[in-house]
Amino acid sequence: MKIAARGYYFYVEIVMAIILLVILLFVSETSLSGGKQFVHNDMPEKVAELLKDKSIDRGDARLAGFTEFRLKPAEFEITNQETGETSVHVFEDEKFIELETFEMLDSSTGELEETVYYVETEEDLMRLSHSERKVGLTVDMNARGRVSFKYYLQGYETDRLESLLYVLNNESPGVVNDRKDRQVVRTLGIAETLNNRENLVPVFLAYIGSLMGFFIVMAYIFYDKAEGVIRAFAVTPSVMWKYLLSKVFVILTTVVVSSSIFVIPVMGARPNYLLFYIFLVVTTFAIASLGLLVTSYFESISKSFGGMYAIMISLMIPAFSYYIPSFDPLWLRFFPTYPMLQGFKEILLNGDVGYVLTYSFAFLTGGLLLFVLANIRFKKTLTA
Amino acid sequence: MISVKDLCHSYNKDGNFAVRNITFEVENGETFGFLGPSGAGKSTTQGILTGLLEQQEGEVTVAGYNLKKTQKERFNRIGVSFEQSNVYGKLTAKENLEYYAKLFDVPTRDPLELINLVGLGGKENVRAGEFSKGMKHRLTFARSMMNNPELWFLDEPTTGLDPTIAATIKDIIREKTAEGTTSFLTTHNMFIADELCDRVAFIIDGEIRLIDAPKNLKLQYGQKLIDIEYVKDGKAVKETLKTVDELDRKRIGEIVSNYEIQTMHSKEATLEEIFIQVTGKELLAE
Repeated sequence: MKIAARGYYFYVEIVMAIILLVILLFVSETSLSGGKQFVHNDMPEKVAELLKDKSIDRGDARLAGFTEFRLKPAEFEITNQETGETSVHVFEDEKFIELETFEMLDSSTGELEETVYYVETEEDLMRLSHSERKVGLTVDMNARGRVSFKYYLQGYETDRLESLLYVLNNESPGVVNDRKDRQVVRTLGIAETLNNRENLVPVFLAYIGSLMGFFIVMAYIFYDKAEGVIRAFAVTPSVMWKYLLSKVFVILTTVVVSSSIFVIPVMGARPNYLLFYIFLVVTTFAIASLGLLVTSYFESISKSFGGMYAIMISLMIPAFSYYIPSFDPLWLRFFPTYPMLQGFKEILLNGDVGYVLTYSFAFLTGGLLLFVLANIRFKKTLTA
Repeated sequence: MISVKDLCHSYNKDGNFAVRNITFEVENGETFGFLGPSGAGKSTTQGILTGLLEQQEGEVTVAGYNLKKTQKERFNRIGVSFEQSNVYGKLTAKENLEYYAKLFDVPTRDPLELINLVGLGGKENVRAGEFSKGMKHRLTFARSMMNNPELWFLDEPTTGLDPTIAATIKDIIREKTAEGTTSFLTTHNMFIADELCDRVAFIIDGEIRLIDAPKNLKLQYGQKLIDIEYVKDGKAVKETLKTVDELDRKRIGEIVSNYEIQTMHSKEATLEEIFIQVTGKELLAE
């Protein structure tokens, strides 16, 4: 640890954590829809078409064709904020739907403001709102021609945003309270969703633990190889696995410290920190052991660049699925960072403990196996 | 202390041997020199003896341990001084030795005492990264004595050191030998081998050509020589001639009779000259 503390890499990781914290603090907690909104018109078709045509005529919108979405099997709860009633929705089927797509434009500049997808059924709207993590809107018109709005929110939206939604659908702020009384605002899974800022934390955690851990453990070993001290260690009674474990321990310490720097300020006291640190330690151990094994195949860091780069890119791929939920192929789940991302998300949500513990065990087992293999390799290739 | 029989090693395991059928023994308390030019197989042999290289063929016993079985505890009795210094540049000289001391299961020497012994006194709190090449080499040498080794592997122990420091290092080796330490000295420097070794082995092209005491080698191969410098056609000419060879003796007479002699010295053959005589190859610095 003393050697690491005098080295460059230890501070790189700490500085990186501080940078990530700053980035997180600059990220807004909320977002209207991120440029995407799903709308279900619960009104006569002719009226709905008329409203769309009017928007097009005014230059507020233009038809952009049809967009295909995949609805995956899902299970979620919806809580009616007014009544407090919670209903469970289970969808076991998987289907593809094509949605009429409109681009909403700034009437003065003509610039694209957001894309609106019209959903045919309210059920599909709920599923899309859940899977795409976007606000869903049902526009309802009763027999007397009165229009009301029903929002499917994600649960993390602030009061300010909810008030803004009321204002957006009223002629003047003065009628907000009147309208609010007559609107039903529902939320999707209050306790199961991270806000915009928190949603970044699992990604940062997975990558500071995996990419940085993977790279830095390799750098430490290559540094020792270059200085020849690994040969000096080899002619002592101390066994190789202790040397390798000392490097992993340095990585674990660094990752725990650096992760805490940005997780605690952002998440506060909400997550189960015992579970969090268990998962962080076992995942980092597994990835650091992978780094050790890879290192044993190369003489120097310059010769390892190809392999190192390929593995680091591979570890990053599951982030696409995390941010684009509709992209979730089965093969992606075999990348270690996929369950890392999901596991950290579950921990931060106080969600599925079983999932986290199962994968903790898997990472621990895999990590031990990789560590044993690395130890065998190092004993054989000490002078390489 | 060391027993090697029919040792062979091929780096690519393709039958192309770096050392072939090496056989020798080193007695307790002996200083054994392993001499040869670059690429002769010295480092390969020492690598196998110190466990840094895999033992492939042959039988090797070091400090009573069969190397085919992994027994790391043998290193409590062994010290290794590497030719290339290999200390943590980010740690001070003292911290380097303190860290290394923790790796042994036997009582170790005081780091400051060792630092002073190799002439680095006053530099104990300086990071090794700031040391000159020679200072790093001395620290590596000091580290090899940390566990009071019974068997000491010394790889080019005076290479790159100025004569004063080299003399100090040689004195330390002599002291350790006097205390009963067995040393295995690998070098291409025949003068050091001549000064320190009880016996030497000449290794060339992966094979041992000869093993004997330097004194015996000189008696056996080192005929008395005369270096004679004379002037011929206005130019200085130098010849080395054997006093025991009839033709050479005649040649000495011719030169003395016919030319102006500038210098004439008698001398013993050096170990290096004997090496060339035995192996047909010169020792070149690595």
